[in-house]
Amino acid sequence: MQTAFSIMPGRADDHDYFAFHGNIDALAEGQLKELPGKIRRPLVKFDFSRTGRINSMGIALLLRCLKTIREEKKAEVRLLELSPMNTMLFKMTGVFLLAQPEK
Amino acid sequence: MLTNNTVLALFKDSEDETLCSPLLTRIAGIVRMVAGEDPAASFKNLKVLGIEPALIIISARLYPAARLDLVSNLRNIFPGTEFLVISSAADPFPPLKLLAADMVRHLAINPAGSGNGNGDMAKSWFLPAVHNLVERRSWDMADYLKPGTPIQEFAFSSSEQKEALIAELETLIRGESPDADLLRQKGALLADEMLENAMYGAPRGADDHKIYRKGEKRAIFPREGISFRFGFDGETLAMEVTDGWGSLSPDMVLKHLAQNQDRRELSDDTGGRGLFIIWRILDHFHVSITPGRQTVVGGHLRASSPMDLETPRGFHIATHAENSL
Repeated sequence: MQTAFSIMPGRADDHDYFAFHGNIDALAEGQLKELPGKIRRPLVKFDFSRTGRINSMGIALLLRCLKTIREEKKAEVRLLELSPMNTMLFKMTGVFLLAQPEK
Repeated sequence: MLTNNTVLALFKDSEDETLCSPLLTRIAGIVRMVAGEDPAASFKNLKVLGIEPALIIISARLYPAARLDLVSNLRNIFPGTEFLVISSAADPFPPLKLLAADMVRHLAINPAGSGNGNGDMAKSWFLPAVHNLVERRSWDMADYLKPGTPIQEFAFSSSEQKEALIAELETLIRGESPDADLLRQKGALLADEMLENAMYGAPRGADDHKIYRKGEKRAIFPREGISFRFGFDGETLAMEVTDGWGSLSPDMVLKHLAQNQDRRELSDDTGGRGLFIIWRILDHFHVSITPGRQTVVGGHLRASSPMDLETPRGFHIATHAENSL
């Protein structure tokens, strides 16, 4: 799995879709800051199937990104393909208070 | 004043003592007491006899649950004594803010009564922890690994070495089972957090501001003494990072754990979140601080450790005098 972070937009009929590749850490700051500006629809899905390690700085950046999307774009975010590790980490750090895993 | 190696253990009642007993069986010379109306009065008598315990172990059912002022009263009688609280895994987790306020920096979890069957494992960790406290020794990761387990050490000269070290650690944990895979992921994240703390959190300027920004590439100078040690015995992974800054304080560590544990306010700043993650993932979390000289953050976890947030975790946060290095 690649370690350098990148965000890949995808095509979907009724929502905005973004796949996160690589580790989410301090080096993801620029891309996660720009992401809310790309939201066009009221439903957004983040795909973590190709995500590597997410550290505490990555969690902070994700929280900031999710807050901005909720507050400025009034959009709902759903999280796809979370690993057991990331599920635990998101529970532990409050990410699920801002975005729910897709059922 | 005769200061000796006496260990005192205090319980709320006989049921509480029975619950804690399995953890305490191999501690030499331990004196057990069920708290009466005024346990502090009994301890004053010990003081009169010239006995100052090296360690007082208190059941969380007694403190803070039943007697909130117990530790502060005992600390007035025995100012040089360390305190260790034992909390049953089946009981509510003791409020960290209270422990922080009373400067209780050692918490052990007693699995008895929780039905998770880790009693022997807990005993094997508890005994060296008690010995370390009584003898004022630092945590030694070898105590928690099978005898003869190799311990690898890496000294850092650049932040760019972090990923190579993490890859090395992942390679050490062999196996394709889900447990092995999860342990690799946990180990990688722990190493990441520990090294980020040492490389970006520990270096402080004269006014206590952080010198480096997370994520920036930086040289690490030999006098910073940043090194990482780890070992894996096939079941338990132990690791620790050392830095030569000694800028972390015990109060700060407990404050970070308490704030993130409460999580009443969802904050996107990173204040102590890394330390909180380390604590929650490790089976046991150790911090050893020599102020202004050195900080060691480490601990250990088993491949079979449960992956949940409900399992309570212990910690040991020790400080050492500057001339102890």
